Amino acid sequence: MTTTSTETTPVIPLPGHTAALLTGLGALAVTASSLMAWTWTADYPGDLTYYGSPAGLQWLALAAGLITLLLLLATQGVPGLRWAAPRHSHNAVLFAATGSLAVGWFSAISIATDLGGLANLEPGALVLAAGSLLAVAGALGLPLDRRTAVPLRILDKRLFLLVPAAPIAWFATHAIPEDKPVAPVLTALAGALAIATGAVLLVQLGHLANSWLRLGTVQRPLPAARELPSWAEVGLIVIAFAVGLFAITFGIDTEYGELFTGYLLLAASVVAALGRSGLIARLRALTVKYQAVTTGAAFAAAASFPFTQTSDQYTSVATNILIFATVALGLNIVVGLAGLLDLGYVAFLGVGAYSAALVSGSPASPIHVQFPFWAAMLTGAAVSMVFGVVIGAPTLRLRGDYLAIVTLGFGEIFRITMLNLNGTTGPKVTNGSNGIPRIPDLKILGWDLGKPTTVFGVELGRFSNYYLLMLLVTALVVLVFARVGNSRIGRAWVAIREDETAAEAMGINGFRLKLLAFALGACLAGLAGTVQAHVSYTVTPDQYTFAEALPPNSAFLLAAVILGGMGTISGPLAGATLLFLIPKKLEFLADYQLLAFGIALIVLMRVRPEGLIPNRRQQLEFHEAAIPAQPTGDGVALTKAGA
Amino acid sequence: MHDLPQQLANGLILGALYGLVAIGYTMVYGIVQLINFAHGEIVMVGGFGALTAYLALPGGTTLWLALPLMLLAGILVSTLTAVAAERFAYRPLRTAPRLAPLITAIGLSILLQQLVFAFYPDAKKARVFPKIPGDPFEIGSVAIQRSDLFLIAAAPLCMIALGWFVTRTRSGRAMQATSQDPDTAKLMGIDTDRIIVMAFAIGAAFAAVAAVAYGLRSGQVDFRMGFLLGLKAFTAAVLGGIGNIYGAMLGGITLGLAEALATGYIQHLPGMHLFGGGAWKDVWAFVLLIVVLLVRPQGLLGERVADRA
Repeated sequence: MTTTSTETTPVIPLPGHTAALLTGLGALAVTASSLMAWTWTADYPGDLTYYGSPAGLQWLALAAGLITLLLLLATQGVPGLRWAAPRHSHNAVLFAATGSLAVGWFSAISIATDLGGLANLEPGALVLAAGSLLAVAGALGLPLDRRTAVPLRILDKRLFLLVPAAPIAWFATHAIPEDKPVAPVLTALAGALAIATGAVLLVQLGHLANSWLRLGTVQRPLPAARELPSWAEVGLIVIAFAVGLFAITFGIDTEYGELFTGYLLLAASVVAALGRSGLIARLRALTVKYQAVTTGAAFAAAASFPFTQTSDQYTSVATNILIFATVALGLNIVVGLAGLLDLGYVAFLGVGAYSAALVSGSPASPIHVQFPFWAAMLTGAAVSMVFGVVIGAPTLRLRGDYLAIVTLGFGEIFRITMLNLNGTTGPKVTNGSNGIPRIPDLKILGWDLGKPTTVFGVELGRFSNYYLLMLLVTALVVLVFARVGNSRIGRAWVAIREDETAAEAMGINGFRLKLLAFALGACLAGLAGTVQAHVSYTVTPDQYTFAEALPPNSAFLLAAVILGGMGTISGPLAGATLLFLIPKKLEFLADYQLLAFGIALIVLMRVRPEGLIPNRRQQLEFHEAAIPAQPTGDGVALTKAGA
Repeated sequence: MHDLPQQLANGLILGALYGLVAIGYTMVYGIVQLINFAHGEIVMVGGFGALTAYLALPGGTTLWLALPLMLLAGILVSTLTAVAAERFAYRPLRTAPRLAPLITAIGLSILLQQLVFAFYPDAKKARVFPKIPGDPFEIGSVAIQRSDLFLIAAAPLCMIALGWFVTRTRSGRAMQATSQDPDTAKLMGIDTDRIIVMAFAIGAAFAAVAAVAYGLRSGQVDFRMGFLLGLKAFTAAVLGGIGNIYGAMLGGITLGLAEALATGYIQHLPGMHLFGGGAWKDVWAFVLLIVVLLVRPQGLLGERVADRA
């Protein structure tokens, strides 16, 4: 086990209180700039031309400035604010200031490039840019937690051959006459070389910065919290979830790509800052203490989302996020708990959706029956589960890799079969590529989900109704995940995942339990599929592919699980939300989205294979050497085997 | 059943193509126990490499001259890609948990597809690949496309060369040793890293040959061609017994024959008249995979699969 020694020193030595003063001034400037005009014309989305009334990106700057200021004052020990930084780590201030810098400079650059030139920046934007730079410079002068030494990493030297190669390729392409058919190919090649060179240099620059800053994962101990009466602690949880709901609603409601990018930048740095300050750890301790309250608060926060919306525009997005997230959570049982790689999971969603569509009473369905919804749900789940068993039974006896490829094949075969069952190349069941259209809206106990309903004086549209229905399904899947995951079965799955031979030696029937996990996963996906069929009116084979630019598809589902964190409940939900919103909001990425996605998967596996919200056990597994053993409640050090 | 010889010939040729791709899966799997999902995409980049060489040649070059150059370019591109992938994506994960390299492979596969899709000019739809012109050869009742001659010549040559390499050369024997027991092989002074790179490179070279054959056959290459081809080839590798190079070719040919026969005759079986023809051939290939896994999971030539935990 390697122990990293740490120190508390500034990166830039500044005399006395200058550092804190500079940071404070910078944060104030950022805050103030949100009340000033950033540009002169309303052409930039959000209309940032007014003094005294923040809009769009200016709200983000306001939040960034205030959070930086709050954390700074808290770390300086200002009475009444110390709760914000229980760890007293100045790194929190630095991260918050970096958030200001990212939002500020992103806004300024985006305005300048969108409108064509720096002349379009009004004083507000300049104050913002200068203020955020000042804040970061000041924060670098604060006594930060740093590692004593970070050796400079140099990339594989052969990679630097790209640096001379890129200009040579560029010249070579210009030497070739443009009318040759190969000329565009070479141009593309030269472009690719240039991008690769840029990436190599950027990574090397990152290593340089890392060895200069030396900000590592330095964890300060969290001082014991002051005892509060339990109503106050419950109140804190409720407030935290209200803030969370507000933040997520803001993200879903962002109207243009620039605002969403700024939102992502700010959210990432604020989460990092609050993590360093210790606030998140405090909150987590509270949620562990009041688990029932937390679950209730989370559910209530999610259920109140439609009430914050005035139109169906974003509730439809939210409904699809829920479907995606629920399926990702189902996949997490298969991948995260049992360690079975399922690459065709979306096919089970498709099986559920098609089953529900066939018995929905749609005029296009060859089966002219209309099941009540509960029966359709059971049908979808059952058919999905049967397919899960049929696929799983022969493959799960073998090494896990076989399952991966068989499920990949199944996903593809499902799509092809649905295309073929169109009456000309096969029996007429699914209408081929046209799919099954006009799936009627659900009626549950006389409640027509297709019609707007009024609850507490708020009119809920069609998608709001489905959102609430889907939330129930999500809750069910969460419940199943939590209960099964902590049961004897769940522990057996984890044991199989870690070492199947050892698990079998302990008397676990590996094959039966793996089949159970696989079938359960398939069943839950089928359940979500039955709702999805009704939400989207139409089921077509092309909704269920392996990799497509828009989720849900098998690759994105897997990515949601991995990005979020395998084996956790909140991980896939967060991962799915992110992976759904990013392609939705950043449409300019369209052509390069899957490209970025592929790169992200590779990089993630190398850098942070445990995901954004790691399972404690998984984190130990992936970073066995890096994490010092922490004493647990009963005084026994947590090891990988004992976790 | 009068067209049986024709169907058999079609199946044999298609099977040889699957077999060439399957070699790549089987060699890598035999040595590092990794299913290289990106291998289908290695085939695809090989095809585009060959296409680039064709485009670079002056118009009107005879295929006798162009074909070797295209082959060379394809092999170069796919080998470089595979070696780079091994070095920068797979090697750092060699001791990581089992799931990590598999996911990396999926990422790599998507990345390669999208690189070609986004940056290769006009690759958003299929690009035309040259065909060998002329009427098909008639041997009795069997017609063979001229473009398929390349594959008919290349596949046996490749197999003979590979067989010679693996059994007769020092590197080949080192490769066998590494696949049997990497740790002991290392102790005996074998540079296993080099052997692994070599396995990737040979697989990629075969993939490029397959890509050129595929391009000649179908007259086009597109960025998605590797997906189904890779899936089929993996099926072939499993069918023949994964880890066994002759098994890969045998599995490929079995799969090709099964596909051709299913396409031609399934609809004549009672009650199956709607499940025949080209639309269902992929489904039957997949059903075959499931059946093989159920009945003989070690494959036709494979030994008992021992789970190395």
